[in-house]
Amino acid sequence: MPEFSIDQFRQIASQIENEVGQVIVGQTEVVRHVLVSILAGGHVLLEGVPGLGKTMLIRTLGQALDLKFSRIQFTPDLMPADILGTEILSDQDGRREFRFRPGPLFANLVLADEINRATPKTQSALLEAMQEASVTVAQKTYHLEEPFFVLATQNPLEMEGTYPLPEAQLDRFFFKVNVTLPDVADMVQILERTTGQSTACAGRAASGAEIVSMRALARTVPVASHVKEYIAKLMLATHPTDSNATALVKQYVRYGVSPRGGQALMLGAKVTALLAGRYNVAFEDVHAVAPAALRHRLLLNFDGLAEGLNPDKVIAELLKALPH
Amino acid sequence: MASFHDLTHLLNHWIHWLRLKRGLIWAVRGLILGLTSSLLLGLWGVWQARLLQLEFLTLVTALPFTSALTASLLAVFWPISHLKAARALDLELRLDERISTALELNQHPQNIPAEIRQKQLADALTAAQTIQPHRDLPLRIRPSEALLALALTLILAAVYTRSEALFQAAQQARDVQKAITQETKQIEALLKQLETDPTLSEEQKKALTAPLEAALNNLEQNPSLESSVSTLVSASEKLEALTNPQAGAAAQALQKAGSDLARQENSALQALGQQLAQGNPLAAAAELANLDLSQLSQAEAAQTAAQLEQLAQALQATNPQLAGQLKQAAQALQNGDTAAAQQALNQAAQSLTQAGQQQALSQAAGQAAKQLQQGAGQIVAAGGGQTPGASPNPQNGSMSAAGSGLGPGQSAENGGQAAGDAPIPQNNGAGDGGATTYEQIYAPSLLGGPDGPQVGLSSGSGEGEIIGQGPLTPGQDGQSLVPYDQVFGQYEQLNNQAIENGDIPFEFSQVIRNYFDSLKP
Repeated sequence: MPEFSIDQFRQIASQIENEVGQVIVGQTEVVRHVLVSILAGGHVLLEGVPGLGKTMLIRTLGQALDLKFSRIQFTPDLMPADILGTEILSDQDGRREFRFRPGPLFANLVLADEINRATPKTQSALLEAMQEASVTVAQKTYHLEEPFFVLATQNPLEMEGTYPLPEAQLDRFFFKVNVTLPDVADMVQILERTTGQSTACAGRAASGAEIVSMRALARTVPVASHVKEYIAKLMLATHPTDSNATALVKQYVRYGVSPRGGQALMLGAKVTALLAGRYNVAFEDVHAVAPAALRHRLLLNFDGLAEGLNPDKVIAELLKALPH
Repeated sequence: MASFHDLTHLLNHWIHWLRLKRGLIWAVRGLILGLTSSLLLGLWGVWQARLLQLEFLTLVTALPFTSALTASLLAVFWPISHLKAARALDLELRLDERISTALELNQHPQNIPAEIRQKQLADALTAAQTIQPHRDLPLRIRPSEALLALALTLILAAVYTRSEALFQAAQQARDVQKAITQETKQIEALLKQLETDPTLSEEQKKALTAPLEAALNNLEQNPSLESSVSTLVSASEKLEALTNPQAGAAAQALQKAGSDLARQENSALQALGQQLAQGNPLAAAAELANLDLSQLSQAEAAQTAAQLEQLAQALQATNPQLAGQLKQAAQALQNGDTAAAQQALNQAAQSLTQAGQQQALSQAAGQAAKQLQQGAGQIVAAGGGQTPGASPNPQNGSMSAAGSGLGPGQSAENGGQAAGDAPIPQNNGAGDGGATTYEQIYAPSLLGGPDGPQVGLSSGSGEGEIIGQGPLTPGQDGQSLVPYDQVFGQYEQLNNQAIENGDIPFEFSQVIRNYFDSLKP
């Protein structure tokens, strides 16, 4: 039995959003998706042009969650040891021995800033840690402390000198969240907050233990069989060979969503249901998380890439066409 | 504490509403289906002139009603599982899959903790209690479907009000079929009667039944008005050909002579006279053959000779052969040669038998021909025309004289009459047109039926518009030089053009089509 009731769950989640909202103006959907991802135990890839507050959001989240936070700025010369840690020779009581010095990855909340600037080797080291929740250095495995979240950012504009994440590694991110420009009202508020004398700061809203408990509660949310079938059908319909595939999928998609995408949909929908005050998953919960869970898992073909097709459009069409 | 029973109770209540709602929706859909079907069937029936007015009304009311009722009942009583209903209602009532999840959790708890299940049930019940079926599941029909049903109803009403002429045509067609069926039965009865007639020989029976059987076969194979009348008239003429116009006079002469003989009491020929007077020549022949002259006294022989002489004189004009044989017998009896007289009487008996059989054949053929003509007349009358009982062809009382060789205009008795007075004679001299034989056709005598609109076929030049003119052929009346089958196509084309151009009144177009169909070589 989870230690949390649904009301406590909603209360803490609301507090987290409020605290983040003290610093981050607008971007409610982005904050919600990041929160859902964290409560579902998944890693998030945030994509957006520079200056939209991606790093600020994650830093604020770290403050609100009272978790051990570390930031890694990815650069082309960043080596795996720089993030995982390394063994150093130390002299203690006259004895000289190698001692493991943990890297910045040994934290609860890791900000991997501009992840696509690091080499594939370093990216792989991070992504392996994301998947296994452990790192191996000098043939010795070190487990990462729970909860462990990686929130990565990448810039879609400056592609020179970058190493785009391979599809298989993209698949390991629970959600891919697009950070967009704020509207005028939000922009005005941002300007007010950031150019005044005082700087806003987020307070503590939840501990790591509470996050773990909330994750456990989220996994107990029941899903009706026809909703599960819908998720499975939706996932399979992203493949051009499927009978439910839409015209856009058939024309522009090379390969559809993996089963990991379906898992992300289900878990994300469960958390969304709890956040909505429900003990069961509804279709609207699935719809709410579908773009973030699927957009980075859809592989477009050459025509789709050439025409600059947005995967969100494909997903929207699928959600509209697929019957409940 | 939330109970699953409370939730199923609510769900059952909703399902009742759902059934009502589906019943209403499907009633309208059934109505649309019924209206569409009845429209299609009704249009077909009306266009083919097969549906009477009452039948059309019955069709367009009963079919939609039955269809709507059936669809509604099916929808109301169609089995609905709780789970499927819960899923549908979750969507319709925006309950976010609460009810269906609760039902599934009750049936298959899986690994969900009991407390979570209880909370989910409580949440579902709370949400369900906010639902009011009469408000959230309103009994409403879709406006588009209602409009469609209304449009179909209006179309049906329009078809009904604009098909008066076609309903009349259907009634006529029905009457014609009835008349044809009746005539068929009469012919069958006539055939039985002829086959059991003892006065006819086998050959005579065969000659009489052959045209009747052919007519019966034709009526069964092609029971249209035109073909039926043509068949009956043709059979009637074949039967009339078997009649002997002089048979009546001969029979009268025999009866009269027989009456004279029957009045002479204590005569050897009294029995003969009685049979003849009763119109029974075959029995009379038997009496004649059985007469034993050798038993007669001299006085009786003289009396018998005188009576035979008298009888011969009475039959001289109508049956010379019989009269001669009777004279011969009388002379032989006067001369006392009873053997020669007996032989002459036997020959006379044979002649009398033949005369009797001829008389019976003629009488039977005449009666059958008359019956067929009456049947044809009844069919024509059922089709809206006049009965041919008024003998449109004064020559022989038949409706037409096919193959008589008369050319156009030679039927002077009928020429120039207005339409409706008598059937249009078909004496168009087909025998000169290159075709050796052709079937008779039926021409409606009164277009539009007895109560229909009159169509004046003016014979005067300059009156009315000429809507088509066929190819003219050189030659004289009654001597057509162009084979009929070569010019028919041109006439038919002109006819079709006239119909398509609307020159022919709509209610007559089918009659005219049938007419030209019957003319096809």
